[in-house]
Amino acid sequence: MNAPAKLPALQVSTPTDTTIVLLRSFNAPRKLVWEAMFTPDKMRRWMVPPPQWTQSVCECDARLAGVLNIAWKSAEADPAMTLRGVFTEIVLHERAVHTEVMALGNGQIVGSQVEQHEFSGSGPTTTLRITQTYVSKEARDGALGSGMDEGMEACYALLDGVLAQGW
Amino acid sequence: MVLDHSPRLDLVFHALAHPARRAIIRQLTGGERNLSELASPLKMTFPAASKHVRVLEGAKLVRRRIAGREHLCRLEAAPLKDATLWTEQFRQFWETRFSALDELLEEMKQQAEAPPRKP
Repeated sequence: MNAPAKLPALQVSTPTDTTIVLLRSFNAPRKLVWEAMFTPDKMRRWMVPPPQWTQSVCECDARLAGVLNIAWKSAEADPAMTLRGVFTEIVLHERAVHTEVMALGNGQIVGSQVEQHEFSGSGPTTTLRITQTYVSKEARDGALGSGMDEGMEACYALLDGVLAQGW
Repeated sequence: MVLDHSPRLDLVFHALAHPARRAIIRQLTGGERNLSELASPLKMTFPAASKHVRVLEGAKLVRRRIAGREHLCRLEAAPLKDATLWTEQFRQFWETRFSALDELLEEMKQQAEAPPRKP
């Protein structure tokens, strides 16, 4: 079996105050990456849930005005979190834009953004560029900082202290 | 699962993981220090302190210059100010997903390439 070509690592950038851009290449043609991204039984494989959660609903209709509907459940709540959106632009195997609203099980909205997926490349590799556009800089920064564990918090507390001393 | 870490950030976090090296950073926030000044409050030998400084140098957190017989150390802020530091957790969240996607795509490719079975 041939070893897959080594592709550049994931790049995350923040070209504007309200956006996050993810750039990642895959050893597969565009059609396959598209299918993996937007077919429910494939999405379950890579949308890894937080620990102790399982995905309970996964609907994705990647056509114009098609609906995205995902839910996760935990031991305490079903749903614990929902993600709902609508596809607003589709160019098959090239470009997909959908809205995305994240809410807690009680309906409280915790995030709202637009996700644009651009697939480029011909042949056996595909570069995927995901542009997430948030409603404000605060929302964008919140998304970037989420999921921080305690170890990181400790590091940041230290860095804050260091930076506060006049760097 | 192998995550594709940023090697540079790994160096920064490794450098910050040791209390002696954090103490050295704290001292250096007061300005340039020579190695003996850094070693004495840590109750450390010169070579031991030098070893820690080397790790900090490797992460580009500290720069050492030699003036006569003195090894003068100062802080380098750039790696800590780098925005990618606080976005690392976000990056790893997505890299976990994309690594899972890599595995899935390999399976999909093998299925697509498999010769059709004869009945």
